[in-house]
Amino acid sequence: MNSLIPLFIVVPLGSAFIMAILGRFIKDFGKYLINLGLLFLVGLTVKLILNSQETLIYKVGGFANAGDIPIAIYMVVDGFTKILLLIISVVGFLVALYSISYTKQYTAERKFYILYSLMLAGMYGVVVSGDIFNIYVFLEIASIASYALVAFGIQKQQLEASFKYQILGGVASMLILMGIGFIYWSTGTLNLADIATQLTADTIIMKFIAVLMIVGFGLKAAIFPFHAWLPDAHSSAPSPISAMLSGVLIKAIGIYVIFRIFFNMFALSYEISMVITVLGTLSMIIGGLLAIGQWDMKRLLAYSSISQMGYVFLGVGIGMLVLAQKGNPAVAAFSILGGLFHLLNHAMFKGLLFLGAGAVEYRTETRDMKQLGGLSEVMPVTAGTSMAASLAISGIPPFNGFFSKLIIIIAAVQAGYVTLALLAVVVSIITIGYFMKMQKYTFFNNDGSFWKNKKIKEVPFTMAFAMILMAALCLGMSLLAIPTIRDIVLTPAVDALMETVQYSKTVIGI
Amino acid sequence: MIDFRLLIFMPMLVGFVLFILPESLKIIKGMITLIISAITLYYSFLVFSSDNGISVMPCSIYPPAGNFFALNIDGLSKLIVLFVGFFGFMYALYSLSYVTKEKRLISYYSYFLITLGASFGAALSDNMILFVFFWGLLGLTLYKLIKGYDEASSSAAKKTLVLIGASDSILILGIGLLFKLSGSYHMSEINLTTTSAWANGAFICLLIASFTKAGALPFHTWVPDYVEKAPASTSALLPASLDKLLGIYFLARIIINLFTLTSWATLMLLIVGGITIIAAVMMALVQHNFKKLLGYHAVSQVGYMITGLALGTPLGIAAGLFHMINNAIYKGGLFLTAGSVDKRTGKNDLSELGGLSKLMPITFFAALVFALSISGIPPFNGFYSKWMIYRGIIDFGSGSGIANQLWIVWLVLAVFGSALTLASFIKLISGIYLGRRNPEFEKVKEVSILMWLPQAILALACIVSGIFAATWVIPKLFNFGPLSSGLGDPGMWQSQPVSILILVSLVVGFLIFWMGNMKKHRRSDSFIGGEKLQDELNFSPLEFYKTIGSFKFLAFFYDKAKKKWFDIYHIGKGIILGLNSVFSICHTGILSSYIMWVVAGVAILLIILI
Repeated sequence: MNSLIPLFIVVPLGSAFIMAILGRFIKDFGKYLINLGLLFLVGLTVKLILNSQETLIYKVGGFANAGDIPIAIYMVVDGFTKILLLIISVVGFLVALYSISYTKQYTAERKFYILYSLMLAGMYGVVVSGDIFNIYVFLEIASIASYALVAFGIQKQQLEASFKYQILGGVASMLILMGIGFIYWSTGTLNLADIATQLTADTIIMKFIAVLMIVGFGLKAAIFPFHAWLPDAHSSAPSPISAMLSGVLIKAIGIYVIFRIFFNMFALSYEISMVITVLGTLSMIIGGLLAIGQWDMKRLLAYSSISQMGYVFLGVGIGMLVLAQKGNPAVAAFSILGGLFHLLNHAMFKGLLFLGAGAVEYRTETRDMKQLGGLSEVMPVTAGTSMAASLAISGIPPFNGFFSKLIIIIAAVQAGYVTLALLAVVVSIITIGYFMKMQKYTFFNNDGSFWKNKKIKEVPFTMAFAMILMAALCLGMSLLAIPTIRDIVLTPAVDALMETVQYSKTVIGI
Repeated sequence: MIDFRLLIFMPMLVGFVLFILPESLKIIKGMITLIISAITLYYSFLVFSSDNGISVMPCSIYPPAGNFFALNIDGLSKLIVLFVGFFGFMYALYSLSYVTKEKRLISYYSYFLITLGASFGAALSDNMILFVFFWGLLGLTLYKLIKGYDEASSSAAKKTLVLIGASDSILILGIGLLFKLSGSYHMSEINLTTTSAWANGAFICLLIASFTKAGALPFHTWVPDYVEKAPASTSALLPASLDKLLGIYFLARIIINLFTLTSWATLMLLIVGGITIIAAVMMALVQHNFKKLLGYHAVSQVGYMITGLALGTPLGIAAGLFHMINNAIYKGGLFLTAGSVDKRTGKNDLSELGGLSKLMPITFFAALVFALSISGIPPFNGFYSKWMIYRGIIDFGSGSGIANQLWIVWLVLAVFGSALTLASFIKLISGIYLGRRNPEFEKVKEVSILMWLPQAILALACIVSGIFAATWVIPKLFNFGPLSSGLGDPGMWQSQPVSILILVSLVVGFLIFWMGNMKKHRRSDSFIGGEKLQDELNFSPLEFYKTIGSFKFLAFFYDKAKKKWFDIYHIGKGIILGLNSVFSICHTGILSSYIMWVVAGVAILLIILI
């Protein structure tokens, strides 16, 4: 089982190179190759989740430890990594399926799939690496591929967005690299597990590294006040890519790394936990307040991503706070569970919302909600799936978002942060407000006679099919709240974060 | 032992299956819905006659989850279940003919059945998490049962889901607080006093949920908008019946089980109840759209229920609950008659209607019975429950709290509200059924039997439960919890003898009228001094109501209400959009300022942490 781990990087990276060469000669080679590859990886992820509960470690090169110093490059798959692998594979596959028809409008279709594969390879690499420098390398692969993809339409607006994204992404990379430099300087190692054993003292340099990491990865995760690039980049990219960026990329290369290093590498500290919780709360509020005024569908969704990531930070941050204060571990676990569940759910419904926005744009060539309306009559599949996703993200039962919202709010109250719970409630009301606004102005609001003249019809089969699958998943993921199923998927992830020092012990094998 | 899974999940599952059937088979869907609702009606009778106790739904896949599916079978939930079953069947019957030709309603029956199942679930759940799941599901079906086909209906749908969804979120917060305070998710195990700040917070959160669902001030604003645009069968099903039953059910749970009220809580509830009665009925008086008029009455009547329940005495609680059931019967019936009129004439405006009494006699008599019931005319059921509320308030006045001292205020508000209700229903009845008939309605016919039968049954229910209230209905339905010890004497009102007297006097009156007409006499037009009679001289009863709006004091409030000053949705929207514009100004799109934010972020974090 362990030897299967590198496949997560080999398959997308390999297919990127193969399609670069063979794609020249065989039409549509790339799009089917990546679909098959991702279908395989979905299967592999499910197999990993179902078959093994313990942490899987793969040492590239197979070098044994020299004493207690790990020399090999580690790839580590624990519970927390698995849910990220699940997100990347499932959303990645469905987006690739959707893209089959969607990318026909572009002339350089082949390049789209090459960049897409590279981005996936980068994301897989970040989540399986057990080594902070490799995390950086894969993060750059994913980021640079995403810069190119944002600008893929090469219109003025897209180029501008991509430029801003590159500059701020570059700042982030610089800060992260600086932080890694400081880590290497003070500990002499780059292996996450090994760093954790070396870093014990709570010195100023540690705090400095922590700030660099929060800001660097915070920029990648687009938490307030480092979110400014996101609305432009996520709304300008081709819709499948927007779904990938909002649904997966900010989680895989931003949130995942923040939680991984602050739970498993640094010792938990009250101040850092507080900073993460406060930034999360601010993102949640400000993202929500900004989203409600937008008239561009995809911009609204992009701001909403900032707000929803705030929920994830809030849930996990409260868990951190409770742990750092040596509070009731059950409450901490419950809160982290809420945050991670929301992370999983958000990937699904935000992905679907962007795909729906893409479908609307594909047929109507606008995403200005003031011009849209009445599309539920002519695009029933798009309207229905988009409605399901909107209800899910607004936290209406029986969709998955309801359960994660419920857990986050109840956990916040139990942990004693009633104000934060109240803010989460207020923002969830705002969330319902702006999603209902989006539904109203896009799919209802008039009888659609305006569109009937223009012969708008439902999107092609693969796009519709991918959206239906995602909507079914939005409904089906509610089952993750049921204890038996929760124990398979979510509880190992929560445990991986909760047992902070266990990570390094398992990985190095002390 | 009854399998509750059948009651709750069978309608939902069938509802999901019905999504698959194409819309062209609407009739078949309707028949299936009718059969399912008949089965659930049978089951709800079984539940009503079963023993009390906490029941755990067996869960074969995962046995420990059974604890999660804890149901509370007591007098209160049995009462609600019985009536949910009853109304479900009635409206399924009505929908069969009403909905068939409505092209706009997609998946109506699916959502109908899901609504039914979720209502049973919400009424029976003991576990609050399970409860909030079903409760939220009802908000969803409410949203899906109105179709946004134009600006106004889309706005109504949006507003409804935002308000209902908001109250669900607040309910979750309240449940979180309750769990923190009591350590239990089970309603039957919680009993708190509204003394500590957190307990008060939880109490208010739960109240907001209950008020929004039932439609009490200030969270009522979705009701009038919703019923104006929704199909009549939907309005009857959810805002008029099931939402009232469940909202007030939850309020009763809060007052009877979850909390022991302190005097300030009672006072607050009574103030909300009183204001709801008067403010909503004042708004109803000036409406021209009869669906909207009914919508405001749906709000106003909630005030009575809250007032009754807030008293906290056995008589008050029984009065509130009895009024809830009566209201669901006649308000649901009124929406059905409104739907019938709408179906046959296509008009919603009182000023365009008139003189339909001879053309639609059954609908007219049903509407008359409902209107008399809601206005509190003896011997109909609405009178009896209002009478109980008045008596409850008078009894309540003998207490010593500040709310008790003010009993006369509550009494005056309740009685005055009842008078205004009568006034606005005279407008409704005369506007639609009496007066001069518009020539274009000459070909209007009575609705089909599937539509008039539910109206007639509900009208009969109004009469029967009014006449036999004291002797049969109340002892049968309200003998649980604090009410089982007896409600005191039923007051001076003996409904059966008085009903007989009323009947006798009607018969005698008719006889006198008939005898007086024995002799043939000459009929001619009224003498108007030779002036030519013009159409504009048709003094519609509506004209009278316009004068209400021109009182200076009232005009101020009507004006502000028209500008949505009292609409919490509108206020909230204004605040949020204001904040939005503040933040939007900061997002200039200039890259250098964004980089400055990053630098500032680093600086602030460094200052805080080091």
